[in-house]
Parts: sequence; structure tokens; C-alpha cells
Amino acid sequence: MVEKNYGNPELENKLRDRNYYVTDSNKDFSAEVKKLSGTISHMCYQCGTCTGSCPSAPRSSYRIRVFMRRAILGLEEEALSDPDLWLCTTCYSCSDRCPRDILPTDVIMAMRNLAFKTGHAVPKNFLQTVQLIYKTGHGVPNNDANRAVRERLGLPRDPPTTHTYPEYIPGIQKIIDHYNLKAEADRILSEE
Amino acid sequence: MVEDQTPRIGVFICHCGTNIAGSLSVADVVKYAQTLPNVIVAKDYQYMCSTPGQTMIKEAIAEHKLTGVVVAACTPRLHEPTFRIATREGGLNEFRFEMANIRDQNSWVHMHDWDGATAKAKDQVRIAVAKARLLEDLTPKSVPVEHAAMVVGGGVGGIQASLDLASAGIKTYLIEQTPSIGGRMSQLDKTFPTLDCSQCILSPKMVDAGRHPNIILKSYTEVESVEGYIGNFEITLRRKARGTRNAAEMEAAGLKGSGCNGCGDCTSVCPVIKPNPFEFGMAPRKAIYIYHPQVVPLQYTIDFDACVKCGLCKEICGPEKAAIDLDMVDTFEKVKVGCVILATGYDLIPIEDKTEWGYKRYENVITGLEFERLICASGPTGGHLIRPSDGVTPMKVGFVLCAGSRDNTGGSSKPYCSRFCCMYSLKHAHQVMEKIPGCVPYIFYMDIRSFGKMYEEFYYRIQNEGAKFIRGRVASLQEDPVTKNIYVKAEDTLLGRPVTVECDIVVLAAAIKPKADAEHIRQMFGISKSQDGWYLEAHPKLNPCGTTTAGIFLAGVCQGPKDIPDTVGQAEGAASAASIPIHKGEVELEPYFAQCVESLCAGCGMCIPQCPYKALSLKSLDDGRQVMTVTEAKCKGCGTCGGYCPGGAIKMQHFTSPQICAQIDAFLLGGLGGEQ
Repeated sequence: MVEKNYGNPELENKLRDRNYYVTDSNKDFSAEVKKLSGTISHMCYQCGTCTGSCPSAPRSSYRIRVFMRRAILGLEEEALSDPDLWLCTTCYSCSDRCPRDILPTDVIMAMRNLAFKTGHAVPKNFLQTVQLIYKTGHGVPNNDANRAVRERLGLPRDPPTTHTYPEYIPGIQKIIDHYNLKAEADRILSEE
Repeated sequence: MVEDQTPRIGVFICHCGTNIAGSLSVADVVKYAQTLPNVIVAKDYQYMCSTPGQTMIKEAIAEHKLTGVVVAACTPRLHEPTFRIATREGGLNEFRFEMANIRDQNSWVHMHDWDGATAKAKDQVRIAVAKARLLEDLTPKSVPVEHAAMVVGGGVGGIQASLDLASAGIKTYLIEQTPSIGGRMSQLDKTFPTLDCSQCILSPKMVDAGRHPNIILKSYTEVESVEGYIGNFEITLRRKARGTRNAAEMEAAGLKGSGCNGCGDCTSVCPVIKPNPFEFGMAPRKAIYIYHPQVVPLQYTIDFDACVKCGLCKEICGPEKAAIDLDMVDTFEKVKVGCVILATGYDLIPIEDKTEWGYKRYENVITGLEFERLICASGPTGGHLIRPSDGVTPMKVGFVLCAGSRDNTGGSSKPYCSRFCCMYSLKHAHQVMEKIPGCVPYIFYMDIRSFGKMYEEFYYRIQNEGAKFIRGRVASLQEDPVTKNIYVKAEDTLLGRPVTVECDIVVLAAAIKPKADAEHIRQMFGISKSQDGWYLEAHPKLNPCGTTTAGIFLAGVCQGPKDIPDTVGQAEGAASAASIPIHKGEVELEPYFAQCVESLCAGCGMCIPQCPYKALSLKSLDDGRQVMTVTEAKCKGCGTCGGYCPGGAIKMQHFTSPQICAQIDAFLLGGLGGEQ
């Protein structure tokens, strides 16, 4: 194809080739997503019940249905490099209502794992969550405001988790270390 | 015919194109068959069922003086008749034919195992040859067919089937469990795509069915039990206590009075008010009632669960008519028919089980059938569509398509397409735009399946009239607690944006399912069902009206979702199919009945209660000895008695003990099985 050159990057981007070519498909990606997600990700018929149920969709550009389509077509790069991948709140509303009995949430989780594995950008807050879990056993650790509320409700200041039983934290760290997750998170965050 | 002699077997192996030959080595199986004991000739051909294939069999019988024929090919259900005729035309008794199913039971299931499939085909051929060596001449038996038919279900399918049978000169019992025929179609307002008034085109047929001299209409009647077989079904009917008698019933009961003439005086004095199920509870009815003004037969019915037996109706009915009997009980009646057509119809699924749509929780969420009654001039609102919550005319109407259809989540949901919801929702959209100026229908759909004649054109018309189509399945409905409006939430998948439409009323195109008692009826008539519960046709393409039980035919939605044109078409097909044995007057039964070997029978009679078909009895021989005897027309060859007889005195024709033992030996002992 002849390279267009208008000397205007914005215009060139607007006029770039937007065809989807079959060669863009990586069928191994479709198979990998299906395997990792443990759900029939290839059976989506694009009805949109997932996006219609999604609390994230009305407030963001995140479209779970589009990710399901990418899973079927094997559009690996398009799926893994899309920052929307990280906007799922994992509420599982889509999985509850999907008429094909697919678990779209688990498809998103599978893609996130693949994105991390293949070195795609992972949002900072997710990496910080890894560090928090490593340190405290909680993605959202208890804080003083919360402790005050708990006290008012007649609950112990800390829940019966690693906050009360910190001796279990090394076990959690062992699991995270097994996947090299903490070291990778530290490395990426330090590079920024 | 063949005298006692050494068996001479011909084996014919079919390629079935690549259906068989693509998955196993036909040449190896032919070579192997030639080594089997008593096999005189073994050949293969691309299509054994073709004329050259059949000619090959016929010529081989004559040339090699064969005593038995084995064809290894598809299923007996498909081609046993073909090859039996070829065997007969070759000069052998047609029951000297045995089939080995090496396609459906082998090549199709072992498609990727060439060696395994070839070895299995050899086993199958060896087993078939072992039986073919012992086959005997048999003669089919003819039984007379009763010149009468029964149609179960009085919807449009049942009515059409009855009218066709009756017009062809066959006495037809039309059985309907509710007080009136008409079925679902009589609940509809208009029909797509022509927009005919449903009741207007149906009521002439209802009237015809009611007065046709050959139709014996039994409303408020259910099938109690079924006995017999094709040509000779004996069916017991339960006539539910209706509480009234018409003129004919008065006469039959020997009572004085002219009977119910449908005047309705009784209903005006009845003090009990109940919801009318015909109107889905949206209108009242009395304990003595008719569903609607056009009922056939026009005869009142008492709901004895609601009736307080005050006697006011009886009083006003008066001694001249004396139609009302408050002490009536169910009665039973036995009828004999040659064939039966089942046309039992459908129900909606309990769509409230899909909790995200809030049916029965939100007042302004209704089903498509409820919409029909609300838009129908004879309905509870006189044809004015109003919101159930406040009686206000809606200006924005949401339509939820595929509500529980094409849904694999289990429970009440159905994986299949209910087939008529797209079209009736288009029709509903037209009706609201026609009746309520300015009213906008929003149709939430996944695909619009407008597959019938003039259906796509109807879709075009409705879009042109202003209906809004949003391509996305509805994710949830939410009620505004103050206004009772419904927020319809979905994704417009074509824009890729979530959408929320505030509607005044929402219509769910709920999926359909077999009637609640369809399973009970199926078991009584001994027919099969599909995985989704609909009655199973004999063949989905080539025998869509028949069932695997001879003499039982299907019409309408009971066989699977279909609209009115398809239902009527199938009803006419079923009537035609059912009339064949009736007009022929006799039907040939396969001679697979049990036979008593009198020299071995001790006359103990223990087999008699075992028989599920009451085909066995005892008789006295000239020497005074008692032996069992079989009524061949009743025997279905199930083999229960043959397996039970302690003396081995019962022979099951075509499935004799030596034949079955030879087959087992042939399988277990390999090539030795043939040498007895």
C-alpha cells in the first residue's frame, strides 16, 4: 500500500486503513482465552445484555461485548493493549444475565492475565494493589475511618482476616512470590 | 420359497458416498465377509439403496440361490423397507433380510478412527450374518382399521385437522379440555402479516366444527386412558362435570327440559366472581360462565371449585330448560378410533422466573398474550390499551424480544427460538401506532426473524410506520416507584452504547413451552419427545406429521413452535396422513408376535399377567390340555412373555432365542460364532 503523507499526523490517523483483516486474527489467542477463562467464550452472539447490565459502561468507554467479540476473532493486540480492559469492576452482572450462559467477567480476567504475561501496560493502581495484598493480605486494607465505623457498629476494630491474624501473611506472600507477581509489580512501578 | 437346506448368505456393503467409505475400509469388510461361514457372495456398491444397488441384490439372490440377505448400510428405519422389497422381488421372503447399521452406529461416531471403525464394521457384519443364517419365512398380518379418528386439542390446528378428516367422510372425535374450542387463536386480536381479525377468520371454522355431521365435539373433556394400536385404539374419555346439559344431553339422559341454550340468565344471577383465565385474570367471570361470546359450543359451564351451590342459577333457568345440574359428576365414555391426531398446543413459560424483567413485580410489565387481550375489542378494556397500574394510555411502549427464548441459562428459559414472537411484536407495534396517535413503539431485538411469505415486507412496513428498532437484548427493567414507568436498559449494539428508554408499558415476548399436561398425554399415547419436551415427529423433514408410534399423528405447536399458517398446514398434512390407513380400511402389522409352542407349554398361565397389551389368554386343546394362545393383532412383540416363560415355550418371531444367541456368540466368539 502506498504510504500517505499529508505532513499532518492527525489527518493521517483519521485516514488510516481501518479494515479488519483475517490475518489480524490469532486463533491461539481465542483458544487461550477460552482455556484460561474456563467459559465458552467462543459462543457469544453479541446480544449486548452484558454491556446493558454493566455499571461501568454508562460512565466509560468500556464495552464488555466488544471484548467478547475480540476474543472470538482472536484480535489479541487490540484486546490486550486497550486500556478499557482494566475498567471492569468484576461485579458479575453480565455473567448473571448472559443468555448464552457465558461468564464474560472471567473472559476479562483471562485477558488481564494475558496482558500482564505479555508485558502490556498494566494500570498503576492494579500493581499497587498487588503490593498492598503482599504487605497486608488486603487489596483495600482497613483504615482508621473504617475502624471507627466498625466500633460504632459494635464490631471488633479489625475483621477476622490477616488484620487480626498477621501470622498468615507469609503464606499469602509465598503464593504471590510463586508467580513472581510482587517482584514484577515492584519492577514496573520503579521504572515509571 | 426356501426349503430346509444349508444357508446361503449374500452380504452387500454400502459406501453411502463417503458417509461410510470415508471413515472405514469397505474393501477390507467385503474381504472379511467372504470368509464368514455360509457367505456365498459379498459385494460393495456406492449406494445400495439406488436402483442398480437393489438390482445387484435381486440378481445375486437368483444367481447364487441365496437363503438370506445382509445389507450393511444405514439404519433399518431409513432403508429396511427398501431392502425388504428388493429381497422379495429377488424371490425370497422379505423377512429373510437383516441389516447391519454401519453408518449411524459406526462410521458417523468413529469418524476419526479408521482401523477401529473397520474392525467394528466386521463385527457388525459377522453378527448380522449369524442371524441371517437362521431367519425364517414370515407373513405379515393385516388388521381392520376403525373408520373413525380422534383429534386431541381444539385450537386452530385441531379444528382444521377435524374439519379435513370429517369432510373426507371420517367420523372424528374432537376433544377439548376447556369449555370451548378455539384455543390460543381465539385469544388473539389480529394476525400477522395480513392483519386479519383473528376471531373473524377463526369463528367460521369453529362454527363449522361445531355443526359438521361427522364431527363429534367433546368440549370440557379429557383423555383418561388409551389402549390398543393403529386401527384399533380404545380411548376412555373423562367428561368433566360441567354442571349443565344441552338439548342432546338432556335427551340422552332421559330428562325433561330443553337444556342449555346459552341465554346467560344464570350468569346474571350468580353471586360468585372469579378471575377469567381466558383474559389472564384481567376480567371477572362468574362461577357459571362462558369464556367469550363466540364460544363453541354455546353452553354454560359451572366452576365447581368456586360454586357455592346457592341454586339461584337453577331457579332462573327454570323447569322448561332445566339445564343446570348442581350435583353433576365426571362421567366416562369409551370410544374406538383408527388413528389419533395430537394438537395440544402451548403455554408461555413463567417469565417471572427471569427476575431481571420484573414480570408480576412491576404492574406495567405484561406478556404478549396479555397485550392481545388488552388491544382486542372483545377484551377486558374494549380494545383500549391502558397501563394496568393507572389506566392511562401509554405513549411509549417497549417490546422485549427473545424473553426467555434463545436462552441457555436453564430453568424456565428455552434454548430454542419461539418463532412467532418477532412477527407478533411487529404486529403489536403496528397496533399501538394505529390505535394511539403519537405512540412510539421501541422494539428491543437481537435478530428480526421474518422468514415467512410477506413477513419481511411486513417488517419494512412497520419500520416505515415509525417503530423504533434497537438492536440489543434487554438487560433489565426497572420500575420508577412513583410514576410506575419502566426503564428499559440495554445496549444499542449497533452504536456500541448503553441505552435506557423510559417506557409507559413494556411487553415481554415470552418464550413458549409444551402444555403442562403434554407429558402425561405423551405417555398415554406412547410417543416420544424431543429434548425440549415437544412431541417428536417420525422424521424432521420427510415425516413431520407422523410419530414413531403407528397411527398417532401431530399437528401444530405441540410438535414445536410454529405460527398459524404452519400449524394449519401441518394439521392438513396430519389429517391427510391419518386418513390413509382409515380409508385403506386395513393396516399390515409386522409379524413380530409371540407364538406359543404348544408341545412345550405347561398351561401355567404365568405369562398372561405379564403382557402389557393383554394379548395372551389360555385355551383348551382337544385332549383337554390347557395352553396359552396369542391374539396376534394385540401383540407388539415386546418379548416380555418370551423372556418370562419358565418352560421356554414362547417363541418370539424374528427374534427367536437361537437367532439372538447366534448373534451374541458371533460377537463374543469372533469368527467361531457361525459354527454351531
